[in-house]
Amino acid sequence: MRSIFNLFGKSPFAALQSHMDRVAACIRLLPALIKSVEVRDPAQTERIAHEIGELENQADITKNEIRNHLPKSIFLPIDRGALLEILSIQDNIADMAEDVAVLLTLKPLQILPEFQEDFHAFLHKNSEAFEVVYKIIHELHELCEFSFGGIEAEKVRGMVDQVAFLEHEADLIQRKLLRNLFQSEEKLTFSTFHLWQRVFEAIAGISNLSEKLANRIRMTLEIA
Amino acid sequence: MSFWLILILVAGFFMAWNIGANDVANAMGTSVGSGALTLRQAIFVAGILEFAGAFFFGSHVSETIQKGLIHEQIFAETPFVVVQGMLASLIAAGTWLMIASYYGWPVSTTHTIVGAVVGFGAIVGGIEAVEWRNVAFIASSWILSPLLGGILAYFIFQLLRRQLFYKKDPLQAAKKLMPFLVWIFVAILSVILLYNGLRNVHLKLNLASTLAICIGLGAVAALITFCLVKNIASTPLPEKGLSPGLAKAHGDLATVENMFSYLQVMSACLMAFAHGANDVANAIGPLSAAVNILQTGTLTASTTVPTWALGLGGVGIVIGLATWGWRVIETVGKKITELTPTRGFAAEFGAATTILLASRLGMPISTTHTLVGAVLGVGMARGLEALNLSMIRDIVASWLITIPAGAIPTIAIYTFLQLML
Repeated sequence: MRSIFNLFGKSPFAALQSHMDRVAACIRLLPALIKSVEVRDPAQTERIAHEIGELENQADITKNEIRNHLPKSIFLPIDRGALLEILSIQDNIADMAEDVAVLLTLKPLQILPEFQEDFHAFLHKNSEAFEVVYKIIHELHELCEFSFGGIEAEKVRGMVDQVAFLEHEADLIQRKLLRNLFQSEEKLTFSTFHLWQRVFEAIAGISNLSEKLANRIRMTLEIA
Repeated sequence: MSFWLILILVAGFFMAWNIGANDVANAMGTSVGSGALTLRQAIFVAGILEFAGAFFFGSHVSETIQKGLIHEQIFAETPFVVVQGMLASLIAAGTWLMIASYYGWPVSTTHTIVGAVVGFGAIVGGIEAVEWRNVAFIASSWILSPLLGGILAYFIFQLLRRQLFYKKDPLQAAKKLMPFLVWIFVAILSVILLYNGLRNVHLKLNLASTLAICIGLGAVAALITFCLVKNIASTPLPEKGLSPGLAKAHGDLATVENMFSYLQVMSACLMAFAHGANDVANAIGPLSAAVNILQTGTLTASTTVPTWALGLGGVGIVIGLATWGWRVIETVGKKITELTPTRGFAAEFGAATTILLASRLGMPISTTHTLVGAVLGVGMARGLEALNLSMIRDIVASWLITIPAGAIPTIAIYTFLQLML
């Protein structure tokens, strides 16, 4: 008789976490990218943007590997659909970082002093929201240890609420930024104006998707 | 001692050796994997309990295989045919199992020997020589045993989740729950064993006094457990970035797992006992059928399994374990790290109870299939990270292929033995 150990498959949670690590590598390059725009070093911007593109590509490869190596016959404590959805949202976050990078290389931009401070705070809030959901993904093994309930699930629920709050704060800053942007329209060409708008949207996407990801994990918990 | 008697003893011993060499790993591997027992301890404990299970509790299933599968009266004129048939079954099943375990094919010892004996009966004695009603019961038990093992393990693990994992203070909860679990554990075990179970001990008790004794034994065990766990303290894990409450909960859970490793050793022992009780029949059932005929020269109406034969089976299993099985336990133990003590306890408790129940009812079932069912039960209760459902396909395949796979070589060897005469 084939022995009982054949029953244990390789858990995809570790793979999910390594994908999230690649996504995090993209997000964590954004401050340096913004800095290069601020000091008006287009060569540096180009270099970092290229690096983000490379990292996003690696994340894509990891994502496809996980998808292709997830046999139909594997049984997980969360359903397959949920796992694939979590993976897909994670990947969208990396796409957002790439979007920001691409937008900032389209033409040399100058950060107007009117919204410089808010812009930094905005990026910081979005990164913060991402870092919390990053930690949530790294709690999956512990969650499984507690069988998706108990004090560990309470902790994760608290983190989910934290992500939602950070997303809301990021929204408030975005509103302020947009107001400043519209008020300074005469200082900007149309294309610059439009480009900034899209950069704000892409950065806001990071916290929006982080919140979506956190809520998806929240749905797997067994607490009321 | 006749030539045939020696041959049948050797074949029976070979079969028992096979069982000890390959199948014991499933009972003990989980405990070695979770670190609850060292390899040396596991082999020692398994050896004693496999023998005890075979010797004291193995007669029920052995009788089924000896008398329940084929209608022996058909062979009343030529009793020697049964001797050759049983010998052929043992040799065929033993050889087939060796080949199958070498290639890692999903076959079960129990299914193979039942297939062999039934195949022999049907081909040599004709279709009416097989007790189809009993065979149907056994076949249904092959489907029911993994299901029952799974359901029991599911509910045990659900209980652990609700009462331990989902509590604010898992350690306090465990201190309350463990004596209760031990109570149930000991009571169930002793009911199955004492109620006309241990035939070799000649213990005659009625139902009421059996129940009273069992509940009493459970209470004593619970009291001992209560005293043992009373003063266990938790050590919060010094992990960085954890709030004090969570660090305590993580530390608690680690302590709880540690406490459960003792329970897991108990459940693994029960598994080993149950395995010995059920699987010794695969060697001793055919053996004692043949030996009875060889000793009396005729088919006797009511043959019971001789105690020495069960002893021989037990020794065979232990030798199989000592010569080869330990290696398999080591491999399995290294690969199973997923079954932490709480999970291992739930799975083994569910499986062992099912196997003991089946043994008491005289049903030859596959211990591995039952354990697979039980582990899946824990998985259904969200206890494990990833399970390979392809094992289910293997089990179904094993239901379908083992009857011909056991039967065909048996017929071949039987024909060969005929030609030799």
